[in-house]
Amino acid sequence: MAPIAVGDALPDGILAYLDDENKPQTVSIHSLAAGKKVIIFGVPGAFTPTCSLKHVPGFVERAEELKGKGVDEIICISVNDPFVMNSWAKTFPENKHVKFLADGAAKYTNALGLELDLTEKGLGVRSRRFALLVEDLKVKVANVESGGEFTVSSAEEIIKAL
Amino acid sequence: MASAMVNRGGCRIMKSVSAALGTRFYAKIATGTDIVSAAPSVSLQKARTWDEGLASKFSTTPLRDIFKDKKVVIFGLPGAYTGVCSNKHVPPYKENIDKFKAKGIDSVICVAINDPYTMNAWAEKLQAKDAIEFYGDFDGSFHKSLDLVTDLSGALLGTRSERWSAYVVDGKVKALNVEEAPSDVKVSGADTILGQI
Repeated sequence: MAPIAVGDALPDGILAYLDDENKPQTVSIHSLAAGKKVIIFGVPGAFTPTCSLKHVPGFVERAEELKGKGVDEIICISVNDPFVMNSWAKTFPENKHVKFLADGAAKYTNALGLELDLTEKGLGVRSRRFALLVEDLKVKVANVESGGEFTVSSAEEIIKAL
Repeated sequence: MASAMVNRGGCRIMKSVSAALGTRFYAKIATGTDIVSAAPSVSLQKARTWDEGLASKFSTTPLRDIFKDKKVVIFGLPGAYTGVCSNKHVPPYKENIDKFKAKGIDSVICVAINDPYTMNAWAEKLQAKDAIEFYGDFDGSFHKSLDLVTDLSGALLGTRSERWSAYVVDGKVKALNVEEAPSDVKVSGADTILGQI
């Protein structure tokens, strides 16, 4: 699948999370994004350094600013299960707005054309690092790294587009 | 005591019809199995930080290095950061580490189908790294070779390990315990295997 690009329609997909009672639940991306302005950013792996120390904190810290500019949802996705995502999300106690959603079997990541083979690093197939700005299911900004590096996919970069 | 233990002395029954027809044949684990021969080209990944991974060039540990000439207690579980695993399965192994060592056990090992970075973060959260060696079977190859996988898609976990424990001496399985239901810790707990060493 070709990587998602500006002008594309955002595909639908099912992601997972743990509810307040720690039970696994699913949600469709379209139900969160239809008719709304959303940022979706993807990371290669929970509990890995760039993801934990640089990529997520940027969005956590600037969430209010993003909301102020009309962003309805900020969604972080990773190819991890919902238990791992839930526990990883808790390592950011100051987080108020970023939703951590699990793409355990990489189905949605594949639908976006953003899969990355990190088998030799012990991670298997994961997501490339990316950030998308999507308005009413249409991709307005697609900042996609070629791998796991952290350059264009930051919160800073995507704020410039708002 | 024997009635409380579902000690799988014999071979595990093949689950699927296609397997019974012999279309796929996974090596099975049972008492007497040589674990290294049953999973010949399989390695595990020691729980580590990313930096440690980078420094070691993402090295893996062949089963031979883990089991050869050693007395090992190994237990597997469905998933890091899940309830029963975190609250009921790991802690008793950690708390009883002195008893294991007193019985001559070289290593107590915990393994799951998770990547080694998640395993590491989880092990640190459980404060269990000093007592237990954690390994990630990130692609499931170890558990698949031993026919110890189960489908936990219902819990949104996908293919995972059964909940099990084994006492392995120089690579040979001396005792093997596999839970009927992965959400239980009945036969795969630390107390049961302590009684089998």
